[in-house]
This record gives sequence, C-alpha cells and structure tokens, in this order.
Amino acid sequence: MDQLLEILEGLQPDVDYENCKDLIDGHYLDSLMILSLIAELEDEFDIIIPTVEIIPENLNSMESMWKMIVRLQEED
Amino acid sequence: MQYCEPIYFLIFLPLVMLFYHFTSQKHRWKVLLISSYIFFFSISHYLLIYLLLSTFSIHHIGLWLSSLQKERDLLVKEVERKQRKEIKKQYQKKQRFILAGAVVLHVGLLAVLKYAGFFGTNVNVLLNMLHIPFQMPVYSFMIPIGISFYTLQAVSYMTDVYRGAILADQNLGRLALFMSFFPQIMEGPICRYSQTAMSLYEGQPFNYQSVKFGVQRIAFGLMKKIIIADRLNILIKLIFDDYMKYDGGIIAFSAICYTCQLYMEFSGTIDVVIGSAEIFGVQMPENFRQPFFSKSISEFWTRWHITLGTWFKDYIYYPLSLSHPLRRLTAFGRKHLGNYYGPLLAGTIALFCVWFCNGIWHGSAWSYIFFGLYHFSFILLGNLFQPLIHKLPIHREHWLYKGFQIIRTSIIVCIGELFFRANSLTDGIAMFKKIVNDFTLDSLTNGQIFQMGLDKHDFLIIAIMVLIIFFISIARERGVHIREYISQKNIVVRWTIYYAVIFMIIVFGAYGVGYIPVDPIYAGF
Repeated sequence: MDQLLEILEGLQPDVDYENCKDLIDGHYLDSLMILSLIAELEDEFDIIIPTVEIIPENLNSMESMWKMIVRLQEED
Repeated sequence: MQYCEPIYFLIFLPLVMLFYHFTSQKHRWKVLLISSYIFFFSISHYLLIYLLLSTFSIHHIGLWLSSLQKERDLLVKEVERKQRKEIKKQYQKKQRFILAGAVVLHVGLLAVLKYAGFFGTNVNVLLNMLHIPFQMPVYSFMIPIGISFYTLQAVSYMTDVYRGAILADQNLGRLALFMSFFPQIMEGPICRYSQTAMSLYEGQPFNYQSVKFGVQRIAFGLMKKIIIADRLNILIKLIFDDYMKYDGGIIAFSAICYTCQLYMEFSGTIDVVIGSAEIFGVQMPENFRQPFFSKSISEFWTRWHITLGTWFKDYIYYPLSLSHPLRRLTAFGRKHLGNYYGPLLAGTIALFCVWFCNGIWHGSAWSYIFFGLYHFSFILLGNLFQPLIHKLPIHREHWLYKGFQIIRTSIIVCIGELFFRANSLTDGIAMFKKIVNDFTLDSLTNGQIFQMGLDKHDFLIIAIMVLIIFFISIARERGVHIREYISQKNIVVRWTIYYAVIFMIIVFGAYGVGYIPVDPIYAGF
C-alpha cells in the first residue's frame, strides 16, 4: 500500500488518498494521470492491466486499486 | 412520431402503459419489445430490417465469443501455469479476430449508409482538382432511425462480452429489447447492456413513486422543449439561413440562442426519455449534468452528452492509448519528459481519434469534423498549459476566477455550436468572420431583433424559463434534488406546482400558427 501511495502522490500530490473515495468520479485524476498511473502500476507491481479494468470501481480509492493489483497478481 | 409530440406522450406511451399493466410480469418484456418495433416501424418502416440484422448478429457473436471463453477456461484448468499463458494468448487472438470482424461489419454498415454520399462527393471534388477525368458514382441511402445510437450499443455489448465484463446473453428477446427500447432509440442515452438489459426484461409492476417521478420528468422535458427550444427555432432558422443580411452582433446572439436551443431540445428530450423509462421501472444513465457550470472544455464533455463521452473513453480512448505502440510511447515519454508530459503524446494521439470520431459521428459534413477537432484543440491546449497555469499565483478557488472560467468555457462552446449549426463549414467560417469584423450591438438595441419572428413577449417568456432552469441547475449543482424536495411538500403545494407546469406548457408552449417546432436535433445523427 505504501508503494501505491507513493505513486499516487507523485502523480497528484494535492489529494488525501487515504480518505478519498471518488478519485475518478470526483475528477481528482484526469485521463492523462490515469495513463501515467497504469504505466507506473504495471512497472512497479509487474502486472498487465487490461482496458476492462480501467473503470471507476477499480480506481476510485486506494483500497480498490490495491484490491485490483492483488487480484491481477494472483490471476497471472 | 416524436417524443415531444402529443401522439407520443398522450396516446402511444399511455397505451403501452395500459398493455404493460394488464400483462403478467413474465410477458411484460414482450409488450415493451413489440411497442419498440411498432415505434421504430412508424418512423423508419421496412428499415427495421437493419435493426433486426444487428440484433441477430450481436446475439450470435456474443454466443460465439462466450463458447470460446468456456472452451479456454476448461483447457486452462487442465494444464501447467506455463502452458496457461500460451492457451490464453491463442484464444485471445481468436476472440480478437471475431470481435474485429464484427465491429468492422457493424461500423462499416453505419459508415456506408451514413457517409457514402459524403465520401463520394469529396472524392469527386478531389478528382476534379487533380484534373483526373473520372467521377465516382455518389450513392445515398435511406438511414434507419437511431442507427448511430444502437450501433454504439451493439459494439459496446460485443466488446464487453469479449473483455469478460458481461456474460453473453442467451436470450434473444432480452437482447432485442436492449437494442430497441422505444424511449431511447431516437436520441439515446447510449446504454450499456449491464445498465438496462436486466431491468427492461424483469417487467417490474408499476410503482406509484416511479410513475409519479417519470411523469414529472416528462413534463419538465416538455417544458424545456416546447416553451424554449421550439420558440427559438424561427429566429435561429431565419439568421442561419440568411446570415449575410445581419451584423456580427446578431450572429453572436444567434450562436447563443442556438446553444440554448440545442441544450433545451436535447436535454428536454432526454428528460422525456428517462421519464418514460422510469415509468416502467427502468433507470437510464443520465446524459447531462449542468454542462454550463463547466470550468473547462474537458469538464464540459463530462457533463454534456455524458453517455457518448464515456463510450468514446471506454471503447476508443483507453484501448488506443493503452495499445502496445502507444504504451511504448508513454514509457519513452515518461522516461524523458516526466509523469505529466510523458503520457501526453500517446494521450493526444488517442484524443485526436476520439474527437475525429465524435465529429463524424454527428454527421457526414466537414462542419461536424471541424466541430470535433475544434473541441480537441481546446482540450489539447488545456492539457499543454495546465502545469503552467497551476504555477501562476492565482487563487483558483476564488469565485471570481471560477466565474471567469465558466464564462470562458461557455463562449468557446457557443462558437463551437455556431459551426455545428451552420449550413456548411464555409457558412460557419463566414459567420464567425462577421462576428469578429462586423460586431455591433445596434441591431440588438434598436429593436430590429423584435422583428425577426419573436416579439418582446416571446423573449420575456424565454428569459423567465431560462432563469427557472438556471436556478434548478444551481440547486442540482448544490446537491438539492428538486423533485424529492417537491415530493416532501404538502398536497396543496405539490399540486399547485404540477398544475403550474402543465399550465405553462399549454399556455406558453410555442405551437400553432407562427411557430415552427424544432425537429429532434440528435435524432438526425
């Protein structure tokens, strides 16, 4: 989780990631940041994030992102 | 038959409600499906065959993809981890091939029906310019109503099955209803299978609250369409058809009026659509979220025609920007340009494709392509300068700065809509030039504006209605839902408001002699 927090803060430092539950729906992360985020997550956690996973439910909070990462690592 | 005509909301819709109510829950979906085909047939007659072909084909493709997925899952279970990847790869390749073929077929049919004439004409112009003595035959076809909308729904269904986001539907009737549901077939919203298919099929019994909210929403939509959009039509038609006669001030005013008309017509019709679906217990996705409170063009497109924007994002923007070549470009960019500008190039290529498709989706004319690329340019500029603007010593949360951003965005939108409405791109450019070179407020102040089909009373009614919609929008922006608020009031207040709305539509509606109701603008796309 700490690695994830570090990545997110590197992209957009002005957000309270531990409490924010609407990172996508609340437009805290725009589409360019999402492209960066996907690339960083793939590099850092050695996963491939298919397009179908890029939905608000998976990216709206740090917890949901973490769940997605763990799931993709297990599925690999 | 159109959604804002009495034949729809006073005859067709109540009749469907009646049949629906007196049919057992198990068979209610059949009432909706038959009604949808009758609705489609009443507008496009035998072109219904195109919708049927699309429905049969996505049903078949969905099942085909699904059977491959089941076969793959069985094989994967029986082998070691190393082989699993290879098997998955092989099956993904097969599935991708099927999906690509199906998408080409559906989008290709749309392209042939909609753009054959445009393509032929432009190729002939090019051949003439190059002095090549050959002319292509120019074909034009009858286009079934709503093809641009249901094709996008068909593509999203097949792609979602391919991605494993939904299971392929075995039930042809349910899929047919998802594709053809009469309230949405003409102007959207563009729904995903996971959003509406099940609730359409369930055949829920009438619920007082849903019917009440549905009817309220329909009345609100009619108010926007009949009182404002239809009233403005005569003025807009006059100016856009003969713009050379008018100065820049009048043309700028007509661009504002058209933007207002388009919003009232499209969002009003969507209110009627969502209200109609709500009556049958179906919750459709919202298509508008107070777009004129947007602080940038990119935010505007998350509030205007939302379902089209999310469709392009999910099925064009992300798949393209996360494709192998663009992923490599992003990785290269991030290494050399950092986290912000790194993905910008890949994002911009995908964004360009999205806006080109957005423009051409609206119609086969250069003015629509220009409209798409116009918005692309402003979004790109916003992306390029965002880091610089964030460094400026501006208090971004100050209401004055926010007000400036909202006005700036609205002006850009109005200019875009001028090109969108102009009879051709050449006319659009000439009208814009008039605004720049021949701007004067004389015609607006000397009374000439009141001699163009609308008198002072018409403008007064429009101004009052726009103000009402504006205050409702402010309330929504602050999280207050007007209809829930009204429903909490006592019976006298509630019915006074209901009667006031009905009274306003009947008395102030722009119908009869002297008015030309605007055709459903988005149904033409």
